[in-house]
Amino acid sequence: MDWSEQRYWEDVETGAEVPPVAFPLTVYRLVVEAGANRDFNSIHHNSEYARASGAPEIYANTGFLLGMWERTVREFIGLRGSIRHIAGFRMRRFNTAGATVVVRGLVKSKRRENGEALVELELWSELDDTITVGPGIVTVQMPVRT
Amino acid sequence: MPDDWRAAWQPVVDAVGGDFGDGEAIEGADAVDQSALRRFLEPLEFDCPLHQEDGLAPLSSYFTFVAPPIWQPGGDPVFTSDERDAQPDGVGQRRFLTGLEPPHTGYFAADFELEPLLPVVVGDRLTRTGRKLVACELKETSVGRGAFMTWEWEARNQRDEVVARFRNTMYVYNGPED
Repeated sequence: MDWSEQRYWEDVETGAEVPPVAFPLTVYRLVVEAGANRDFNSIHHNSEYARASGAPEIYANTGFLLGMWERTVREFIGLRGSIRHIAGFRMRRFNTAGATVVVRGLVKSKRRENGEALVELELWSELDDTITVGPGIVTVQMPVRT
Repeated sequence: MPDDWRAAWQPVVDAVGGDFGDGEAIEGADAVDQSALRRFLEPLEFDCPLHQEDGLAPLSSYFTFVAPPIWQPGGDPVFTSDERDAQPDGVGQRRFLTGLEPPHTGYFAADFELEPLLPVVVGDRLTRTGRKLVACELKETSVGRGAFMTWEWEARNQRDEVVARFRNTMYVYNGPED
């Protein structure tokens, strides 16, 4: 990722794709994640415990899944953009170890409001071509050229 | 009686609108520091310099910085069992629950909404305040019978400024074998 490049509000077109970001999930990665974000619920790092709870395998926690969205959005809006609201972050299916989560998105709309240049991004996470999180709306502020 | 489980949840449904935070401010275990940010960003492979170098906490890390310690000096031991999958004592007490729920075997996050209001940076210390139950929807799913409970709460910094508002939904359920 080249962080010296900045996308501007004028560059964004409704319907355009937010570049997808893939997150292969392994037990190793989920254990590192649990230690980093302090969500030690055993359903996220203990396969036996997760299966006893009804899940097929250990799965990514909320902070990790939200972080995937945040990275995807940040890489789109650049250093001068900011995230104003996240809604519709509905976790529909388990994002389990042994699979790859891909975060995808589209530009839903753009507008000027109270002097700010805003963009609504529709985001979702997929696993095996099935939506596992979202679709939700992330409202972002982006810089303008003039 | 197939609807007994619904009746058991009625006290929680009736409690919608109540704030179960009791005015308590739950302080996160650690202040925001650069090493914690680095660890948070590592499994995400997230190299944004705002977070890696400038000390701005990612929005997705706010959960982390409001998480209370599992154990703290002067506290009672919490690792009191050597059963393989035993949970630390007291770990369930800070979950988003009313205390009115019927016995349940599982609990997981289902939905989430976040409105950031102020930046969180290195040196800040966050607390979680408020725990208002705003919805309780009963539902049978593939993992059991239970309720989707929606909560509203806030994160505040050390100056008592609200840095973000949250709305999260947890599914609390009893597995089919029970």
